[in-house]
Amino acid sequence: MTIGARIPRVEDERFLRGEGRYVADIAMPFMVEAYVLRSPYPHAHIRSIDASEALALDGVEAVITASDLPDDLPPIPCRIPTHGDLGPYLQYPLARDRVRYVGEPIALIIAKSRAVCEDAAELVEIDFDPLPPVVDPEAAIKPDAALVHEAGNLAGRWGFDLGAVDDALKNATYVVSEKFSIQRHTAMPLETRGLIASYDVGRNLLDIHGPTKVVHTNRNVLAAMLGMGEAEIRMVEPDVGGSFGARGEFYPEDYLIPFAAIRLRKPVRWIEDRIEHFAAINHSRESAFEVTACADAEGMITAFDVRLVTDMGAFIRTHGDVVPSHAAASFPGPYRVRNYRIDAMTVMTNKTPTGTYRAPGMFEANFARERALDRLAAKIGIDPAELRRRNLIPADMMPWHVGTESVKRPTIFDSGNFPHVFERALEAYGWDAPIEREADGWLRGRGICALVEPSGLGPFEGVRIEVDQHGYATIFSGSSNQGQGHETVLAQIASSILGLPVEKIRVRHGDTGIITFGGGTYASRTAVLGGNAVHSAAVGIRDKALKTASAKFDIPLEELSLREGEIWHGGKNEPVISLGGIARMLMPGNPEFLKPPSDMNMPDNDGLVVTSYIRGVPGGTSAFAVHMADVLVDPRTGDTRVENYFVACDIGRQLNPLIVEGQLIGGVAQGIGGTFLEELTYSEDGQLTTGTFADYMMPNVYNMPPVGTLVLEETKAPGNVLGVKGVGEIGPSGVPAAIGNAIADALKATSGLNILPLTPERVLAAASTVERP
Amino acid sequence: MTHHQVELTVNGSKVSMQVEPRQSLADALRSQLGLTGTHLGCEHGVCGACTIIVDGEPVRGCLMLGVQAEGAEVLTVEGVSPSEGLSPIQEALREHHGLQCGFCTPGMVMALHHLFTITPSPSEDEINEAISGQLCRCTGYQGIVSAAKAVAQKQRENRSHDTTVNGKENSCRSA
Ligand code: FES
Ligand code: FES
Repeated sequence: MTIGARIPRVEDERFLRGEGRYVADIAMPFMVEAYVLRSPYPHAHIRSIDASEALALDGVEAVITASDLPDDLPPIPCRIPTHGDLGPYLQYPLARDRVRYVGEPIALIIAKSRAVCEDAAELVEIDFDPLPPVVDPEAAIKPDAALVHEAGNLAGRWGFDLGAVDDALKNATYVVSEKFSIQRHTAMPLETRGLIASYDVGRNLLDIHGPTKVVHTNRNVLAAMLGMGEAEIRMVEPDVGGSFGARGEFYPEDYLIPFAAIRLRKPVRWIEDRIEHFAAINHSRESAFEVTACADAEGMITAFDVRLVTDMGAFIRTHGDVVPSHAAASFPGPYRVRNYRIDAMTVMTNKTPTGTYRAPGMFEANFARERALDRLAAKIGIDPAELRRRNLIPADMMPWHVGTESVKRPTIFDSGNFPHVFERALEAYGWDAPIEREADGWLRGRGICALVEPSGLGPFEGVRIEVDQHGYATIFSGSSNQGQGHETVLAQIASSILGLPVEKIRVRHGDTGIITFGGGTYASRTAVLGGNAVHSAAVGIRDKALKTASAKFDIPLEELSLREGEIWHGGKNEPVISLGGIARMLMPGNPEFLKPPSDMNMPDNDGLVVTSYIRGVPGGTSAFAVHMADVLVDPRTGDTRVENYFVACDIGRQLNPLIVEGQLIGGVAQGIGGTFLEELTYSEDGQLTTGTFADYMMPNVYNMPPVGTLVLEETKAPGNVLGVKGVGEIGPSGVPAAIGNAIADALKATSGLNILPLTPERVLAAASTVERP
Repeated sequence: MTHHQVELTVNGSKVSMQVEPRQSLADALRSQLGLTGTHLGCEHGVCGACTIIVDGEPVRGCLMLGVQAEGAEVLTVEGVSPSEGLSPIQEALREHHGLQCGFCTPGMVMALHHLFTITPSPSEDEINEAISGQLCRCTGYQGIVSAAKAVAQKQRENRSHDTTVNGKENSCRSA
């Protein structure tokens, strides 16, 4: 089984049989359970906390508040470079004397069961002195606004000013100015978070099950916060029920649960419930764009002028300002536009802190840009696809330097033939096919969105491959997996080099105990960086095995090759030895391969083992994608029905088409949620009002249109041997733009549909701006 | 808190559990019997991850109390999995990539198991209806629906085959 084979996943069997092992499925002897007591107020001083009654309750082991934590405990750091110093906005694991959002941890209660913890929580007396909450980011940056932090509500203001935007605006033939807003929503993996920490006091070893995504980074952060050596902490990822960016970052609980385990000297388990998850996990996406786009008489886009306000919530978390940063860096999208200006503001409010969610910043920027472009096309009087066609970056201008940067890395589109892929996409979907405009009073429209999805970001990834004497290979990967199928695709890559069936290749990941360094999983990076690390290590294994066989059997290296797990002698056309046999020979101390006896101890073989770390290219690699949709709209009610959805993309090379398709379709589903359904709303007094699955609507089977895909392997990524580009974030990234454009097309609306989610009320409002016979 | 002794049949075996009055059946199955295949995604009856079959009907294990299960016949994902390998429904989900993180999967398997128990070769509408209360955050449902359609198709083929060859209906229980 090789790279590119459409094979079902090796990890599926355990999940289908109910044998997946998620964090809540793990228990330990003498384990106690933890519960986080959270703020019911969006903004308040804490005058006092009295836990005496709670502590007296039978079964309660401890109530930990900020005063129990070390005085010199630092806040949770950002793990990514930011625009300016965001230090004053970082979060401490427990609120000290003031709470800033509903859900902020105030105390950790530990008892023999979660139920007893909850009983005890009722008994903790907290005296709050409420402060005025700041809920709306635009109001937050007014001079008289109440302060979320003393450092000011405007945490950052930065931007880019490329080319000559004012001149372009002055000379433009067509100009549109539009405001867009993207609602607060988030990843919402089906499994909530959880941790189980146990501490071996005698040896000062801390074991934590439940972290994911970036376990090595999290381990290092925790080591610094606890004052422990990094190797004294082991973080182990269990099976994980989805992350999509949010889960697996270092949260307050990631400090508190280990801290409690050390203090109590008992294993401590915390399993988040769904209600807490709503208030505690990073929220995302809440942002407002003002976009001015202009074009010359030929319909060439001459400038983008943008203002971006992003609601960061109450604290800056591990992601810093990466979401607006990516949005700002990539706003111009796949177009040849040299005049670009953006004024970006990051604003603190009394709401849950924010972080990334699949296609961070891109989902938002694509919506604003691509909706604005449809307005521009209408003004020029050309087909929306034609406007895009005229302006796509041509292949001979690759690599394209946007001129911006994000997280201190330049934004570079490394490769691609955008115009060619664009035409293939239009053709495959039938963009020009006639469309029946009306059916039973419903109106039909078609919409498009073109985008570039950066992937493979981050400094490095690493793996170690070990082959044992029975011919089993194990890949120890520094990345982590929350459902993407890494156990299969990484095995496929190794299989293609080693010739072993994927069943003989185990993949282990997400464990700081198995490999020294690991990058983790974000920014669609595992196929790109992890995949190339596997490739490189597998090549190393192959070369080492061939060299060993050549020396042992005295056959010239050129005459040996590795096939189906065995080394073949080309001249004789017969297998010489199995890979397992070589692994046995290379075991240290193996007499078969001992050099002549010596009076000195000497270096020995180190097994059929190869470690390989791959350093990422600064700009990562970028995939081009086109989303298209046909939508039916009822202008009387504002109801919409997506009839057909289509995503075309060029990802350089597919590792497993089944998994690629799954990533695209699943991603579209999340995009549909963000387009129509999902919203974390706050009341004026700062309470989260969509805090259960009953009011936060995620797509079910009825919300899904048929999704078609066209996956091309046109332009290999030049920066990696496999030529792969990430696919994970293409799915959601263009959905609201393509659908918003389709609805506008159906209604022939020239205003509205700029605010997400596109609820029936908003669609109806747009419909009512158009006179109908 | 007082505990209650509850006697019931789980996956064909008679068992007894000690449950608190407020403990959900899903929680009890997980913590008392170690049947951790039944997942909890919301504990408020919306996501369907906890779907199990009680006395022949699919129920949300998070909404039913352990004490209500006295005398009940309970079927969980562990009970519908063959001793080795995969059932036809499970196999189809794998073939059609109907799962990614796997967290919703046991609930999906149970919902589909029930569907195929009552409707040997369901239509697409019936499939959609059967999983409409099951949330999946990863897949977008397309692979799940195709998997179920493939099983239904196979059942139809088997049945017409059986009708002509044996002249009797094929049992759908094996699904
Ligand atoms: S856990 Fe029972 S429905 Fe979600
Ligand atoms: S596979 Fe992840 S929720 Fe369905």
